[in-house]
Amino acid sequence: MSRALIAILAAIVVLPLVVRPAIASEIWIFAIFGLGLNLLLGYTGLLSFGQSTFFGSAAYVAGWLLKHYAINVFLALGIGVAVGAASAALVGYLCVQRSGLYFIMLTFALNQLFYFIAYQWTGVTGGEDGMPGIPRPDFLGIDFGEPLPYYAFVSALFLLSLWIMKRIVESPLGKILQAIRENEVRAEALGYDTARFKLAAFVIGGAFSGLAGVLYAMLFGIVPLEAIGFVTSGNVVFATLIGGSGSLYGPVIGSFVFIWLSESVSTLWARWPLLLGVAFVIVVLFFRGGVVEAWARFSAWRERKWRSSRQTG
Amino acid sequence: MAILETDRLTKSFGALAAVSGVSLAIEAGTLHSIIGPNGAGKTTFFNLLTGALAPTSGTIALDGRDITGTPAHRVPHLGLARSFQRTNVFPAFSLFDNVWVAAFARAPSRKGIAWRSADRYPEARERALAALADVGLAGKADRPVREISHGEQRQLELAIALAASPRVLLLDEPAAGLAPEETKKLVALMRGLKGRYTIVLIEHKMDIIMSVSDRVSVMHFGSLIAEGTPAEIQKNAEVRRAYLGGVAA
Amino acid sequence: MLYALMGLGLALITGVLNIPNFAHGALFAVGAYLLASTANLIGNFWLALVVAPLGAALLGLAIEYLGIRRLYAAGHDYQLLFTFGLALILSEAIILVWGPVGYSHLPPPVLRGGVDLGFTFYPKYRLFVMVAAGLLVLATWLFLEKTRYGAIMRAGIENKEMVSLLGIDIHKLFTAAFALGAYLAGIAGALTAPIRGLSPGMGVDMLGIAFVVVALGGLGNLLGAIAAGLLIGVAQAVVAAHWTEASSVVIYAVMAAVLLVRPQGLFGIR
Repeated sequence: MSRALIAILAAIVVLPLVVRPAIASEIWIFAIFGLGLNLLLGYTGLLSFGQSTFFGSAAYVAGWLLKHYAINVFLALGIGVAVGAASAALVGYLCVQRSGLYFIMLTFALNQLFYFIAYQWTGVTGGEDGMPGIPRPDFLGIDFGEPLPYYAFVSALFLLSLWIMKRIVESPLGKILQAIRENEVRAEALGYDTARFKLAAFVIGGAFSGLAGVLYAMLFGIVPLEAIGFVTSGNVVFATLIGGSGSLYGPVIGSFVFIWLSESVSTLWARWPLLLGVAFVIVVLFFRGGVVEAWARFSAWRERKWRSSRQTG
Repeated sequence: MAILETDRLTKSFGALAAVSGVSLAIEAGTLHSIIGPNGAGKTTFFNLLTGALAPTSGTIALDGRDITGTPAHRVPHLGLARSFQRTNVFPAFSLFDNVWVAAFARAPSRKGIAWRSADRYPEARERALAALADVGLAGKADRPVREISHGEQRQLELAIALAASPRVLLLDEPAAGLAPEETKKLVALMRGLKGRYTIVLIEHKMDIIMSVSDRVSVMHFGSLIAEGTPAEIQKNAEVRRAYLGGVAA
Repeated sequence: MLYALMGLGLALITGVLNIPNFAHGALFAVGAYLLASTANLIGNFWLALVVAPLGAALLGLAIEYLGIRRLYAAGHDYQLLFTFGLALILSEAIILVWGPVGYSHLPPPVLRGGVDLGFTFYPKYRLFVMVAAGLLVLATWLFLEKTRYGAIMRAGIENKEMVSLLGIDIHKLFTAAFALGAYLAGIAGALTAPIRGLSPGMGVDMLGIAFVVVALGGLGNLLGAIAAGLLIGVAQAVVAAHWTEASSVVIYAVMAAVLLVRPQGLFGIR
């Protein structure tokens, strides 16, 4: 068992003792969301600024079915994954041929398309008021309505997601996506249909976002309009980047830092997005590379110090 | 019989014909060089062969089968692999991963592509290691690209092409930017590859061409102006004019 | 016409600087709020219309000089995060200064009421905005086409190396392009204020539209941005007349449809 995994398991156990279970759950949900984005951003080099499209669509569809048809929890999750993947296939199809700025703007604009559909389609989504009253149905006699069982459920799904993502990035697909990030022209010249691989990354990332979206809807019992808004897309990019997009665990750390900070600050001041914006600017100007890299730099520094002290001593 | 054949292949950019009516037949198992001054259209010709560019007119045939218009990502699966004039590798990868990605592209089966560990494709792994061994980089398989010299990067460039187990190897100035010592090594390497693959070589350095080629074609302003054995080309008056006219005058 | 103005400014910034400017909408909102405040303060709408966009341009100048300049080598992800962070800061600052509730700002007395165009009755102020925005687009276009500075800016889109070789300070060019883009966003915001009123969310709505305009026009294609802005404006007006609810969606739907048929955008070259 790797050290990272031990740390995560320890965090899963300790977290609900330190913060409210709802926040603890939100951390792992956001981490699943971040894992999905990082396959695109970190591994394939595609900066998608529209991940909330998949997150929100899945939350709305599964939430609607949970609310009106009282479907089973696992069916709801399955539907969320499917909706996330399908919406990502749609968006991905339009975006994968583009690159650079064009790609970013397109993912954002399509995000806005879905946002405005949700905003105007008040009969279903509740528009600005959100879609409230989403239940957390029992399963096999376990009452997910209670915070702690639901937390355990979310944690288990997070570990499952992490394991699946680890398999994916260590598979040939993971290597090929990284090859596309490194040098798309050469990857194509080697015989890979890069557009199809990028689309695959979108669909997988969308499936993870969808799972996160449904878990989020069940956690708070509501799908707020912001769930499909661009700020959510920006937050997950930020969380992934502060964690470090270069590694599998980066988005997990990022989600931890991001949710914990934003939850503690948001209770203090209603205008906390201002501080969030300031945090974005500071990180970008001074701490590029994220927590993982900052830690690596710190360890290298400690190592050097340790060595030099041994030489002199 | 010709394994690779073009018929009046032409590529125009606006009014400029970068490649103009090139009809060329490459015999199986030979090393066929294409020479010509800078801007003669040699690299554009390669880009047409590999599908990176679509020809304006003319056809390309492999084993007598028309492959014109095949998309770039399909061409390697037909057995055509290329190296690039400017080193064009995956910078963050180890040497092994660089050639592995090339080898896996031609794996007989991509079963389990998103799920099975990348280590568990023994066939791709062996081909990748063999390609590194062929260019003499087997000992550095786990080193990252940024730690090796320019000369070794040129060898890696070649290994990536070899790992795709091609039948026809298109090499675009493999000796570009090499020191004399490294060039010698590369020539020896090419001698070793000769016969195992059909090789089409673009090269500037006359001494390399004369010592390894079976046949030489000369391109000038997008057209073929001569073809023959190295000895014939050396004597050809028109070639001398093209070269001397391009360089000295 | 307003969309064309926004799109032109953004196309200039994305084209010359090659950065994703998510603060473009916020600059639009800043222009609108500055107009309302200065007009109330000095009691002269026309003077405010001059001052407000200059404020936005000044802000743009500061943003480029203090922040974006340090990020040209950083990659789009960090550039995006930076401008997105700025957008958050600006829209929250607007709420802090002006309050979270939207309010309306009346056009100057001369432009209140409407004119009878024979076939329809049209508000005077809207007519004014159409003409003013049209003239601004034309002026910007003439500046870019006919003047030396405009030529340098267009060259900055086509070929940055060449501009450096000509001995022009590329950083000054970047700052100028960003400030000009911010100015256009600011004046579009200022002109909009009396039509749509002011609300903290106005920037984001406009940002999405500006992106659509640029995507449709083709990146770095200024004339394309103008044409796409007009097209989107007309499409939205037509749909709004028949089905009000869909008027926001239609912009993005048009974009998606166009990109399905022509992936390079309407006038795309890249």
